Amino acid sequence: MNYKTADLRRALAGDYAIGLMPPTARKRFEQLLLDDAHLRAELAQWNTHLASLAEPLTAQPVPEHVWQAVVSRIEPQKLHVPAKRPFWTWLRTGAVVCSLLIAVTVGLLYTRDNAQYKATLLSGTEQPALRIEAHADYLKVQPLELAAVDAGRSLELWAIPVEGKPVSLGLIPTGGDGMIGLSESQQQMLGTRVVLAVSLEPRGGSPTGQPTGPVLYQGPLAAL
Amino acid sequence: MNGITLYAQLISTDNWHGAITSDVGRTGILTANTEYLKQLLAQCSLGNRRAFETLYRSVAPSLHSVALRCMGRRDLAEEVVQESFVRIWHNASRYEAHLSAPLTWMINITRNLAIDQLRKHRELPLSDLQQDAVADDTPGADEQLDSARSSRALNHCLEQLDGMQRQTITIAYFHGFSASELATQLAAPLGTVKSSIRRGMERLRRCLES
Repeated sequence: MNYKTADLRRALAGDYAIGLMPPTARKRFEQLLLDDAHLRAELAQWNTHLASLAEPLTAQPVPEHVWQAVVSRIEPQKLHVPAKRPFWTWLRTGAVVCSLLIAVTVGLLYTRDNAQYKATLLSGTEQPALRIEAHADYLKVQPLELAAVDAGRSLELWAIPVEGKPVSLGLIPTGGDGMIGLSESQQQMLGTRVVLAVSLEPRGGSPTGQPTGPVLYQGPLAAL
Repeated sequence: MNGITLYAQLISTDNWHGAITSDVGRTGILTANTEYLKQLLAQCSLGNRRAFETLYRSVAPSLHSVALRCMGRRDLAEEVVQESFVRIWHNASRYEAHLSAPLTWMINITRNLAIDQLRKHRELPLSDLQQDAVADDTPGADEQLDSARSSRALNHCLEQLDGMQRQTITIAYFHGFSASELATQLAAPLGTVKSSIRRGMERLRRCLES
């Protein structure tokens, strides 16, 4: 395209201003605009005249939320509370109060049964296999993706302290779903930093009191 | 089916003569204190948030009217206004005061954003976009002589155009229709539409410059 003659530049700027150019020509023209102040001036002339098409319009009030949205866009690091809507605020507060009440009631009823610790045991390939919740005097065991164990074998759960030998917590129930009761010493042990691990043992559990088979799953026990 | 609703819309929305004569004497959106807006824009380019808010309060209603004229729907228009001010804030330093009035520059930002949106959604029938159209002719708060005068000048200049020129220019300006889209909708040859727009723009410009 030839951008040299004044008439042509004026005509092209006009085409660009009103939107007659196809997308590729638009992009090329925009490139030219960057380095060509005269072309920018030519375009500004057109824009000024075309903007007079907006003259008959009447100013329209803008809802306040638009300004709030602008502010949050240009200052994303600041927390902006959206405009309050009384009904929804009331409803939300009501809902929060209700759920608190329910939580407290349920909490009081089941206070002795709150899970205190939790662990998700992963397989060697980092697949979640078993979820374990430690309550006051028992463990709740939930299978996620547990390998099938043949009838002659058992899965045994161990607590491994930072220093010291693994302590058996008991056998994983068949199928993985169920509970394991905890003795007082076992309960105390779970209060320290331990990793839980599951090893494959002969049916009925390790004969030695220490893991004898391969560790299939493990994961740290975290306080809630 | 698209074509029929669109065509009806093209014919009906661009009754310039009526729109303009009924608007003479009202506060037009272009009557703004240019020097004041220039100062505010300069302050914005320095990162002055307070100046930005003042600028917003001064020109948002005007830009809203432009966005509404383009989009035809309040929710879409509000999004365009929001986007416009984000862009104005970030691009304030690129405003060239010697080239155009501040409001012209800002109107153009709004119009470009609106047209981008419209082109993206062009697969939707225009009637859908515009069925909630809000008339942009609520009376202004007060009347200003300047506005009446410039409206008269524009009115006079638009009267110099023939019907097709007025229609094509207005629709291209506010709705971003390409020449070929206009040609299809008006069932006119592409070359005719293009030259109609170009001749109309030249005539409008010469009249406004005289």
